Amino acid sequence: MRWEGGAIPQPDAESLLLARVQAGEAEAFAQWAASAEPALRVCLRAFAAAVDTEAVLQEALLRVWQVAPRFKPDGRPNALLRFAVTVTKNAAISELRRGRPTREQLDALEQELARETEARPYEADPFLRRAIAECRDKLPGKPKVALEQRLANGGTDDDSALATRLGMTLNTFLQNFTRARKLLAECLKKKGIALESEVR
Amino acid sequence: MATKNEELIEQVVSAHRARDVDGRVRSHHAWHDLDAAERVEAFEQARLSRTLEAALDPDGLSTTVKAVLSRLRR
Repeated sequence: MRWEGGAIPQPDAESLLLARVQAGEAEAFAQWAASAEPALRVCLRAFAAAVDTEAVLQEALLRVWQVAPRFKPDGRPNALLRFAVTVTKNAAISELRRGRPTREQLDALEQELARETEARPYEADPFLRRAIAECRDKLPGKPKVALEQRLANGGTDDDSALATRLGMTLNTFLQNFTRARKLLAECLKKKGIALESEVR
Repeated sequence: MATKNEELIEQVVSAHRARDVDGRVRSHHAWHDLDAAERVEAFEQARLSRTLEAALDPDGLSTTVKAVLSRLRR
């Protein structure tokens, strides 16, 4: 198609972000991954009993980063996200095959593969973000410290290392983290927010 | 007081995952000690946790995304 006058067509935000990811900008990949993560996690639900979905998801995101420079968008919206859904499911299948899948797991897998997943990027709701931050600020000392330690660490160290850093046993650290999560959920509930329904 | 398996679930909910010798992301050791229902529970808790984490992060990044970013190579 040829441009025939008028305003020069501008690349949309998705194309611009993809170009930056393909150029190797980690910050752009982080932005894309943050919007893609919820949809990719949901497509792993059928595999949750059979594979460690967190490990699969991280491996899939790393693969998307690796192949992104050669990725050719098909012109439809959310091209990289739809591609990432395929990569994620394939990573789950590979992991499943490494174990000894039961008949039930294989049936669930076939159903999941046959299902067309409508993947949409996630956009954070500013009201929800504010409500969660307010609830975090109300947490009591140790649960708050445990939560913030995990957030600040960004999955780099295991919980034993985080517990040691805080002068807690692993058991105490985990109990404080569980308490923080439950208190956050209760606080949000009081504000009329059911987190489960926000992330469906 | 958390039960033993609640503690295992909480560890699996973490985004920390070790690598194997080939650089692949390994399953969490605690995940192998969970039964099917507990694994699904860990999955659902991780979904909620990542939403909370992203909401609390100035850049909107969950610990999963941060863990991946720390391992990017091309």
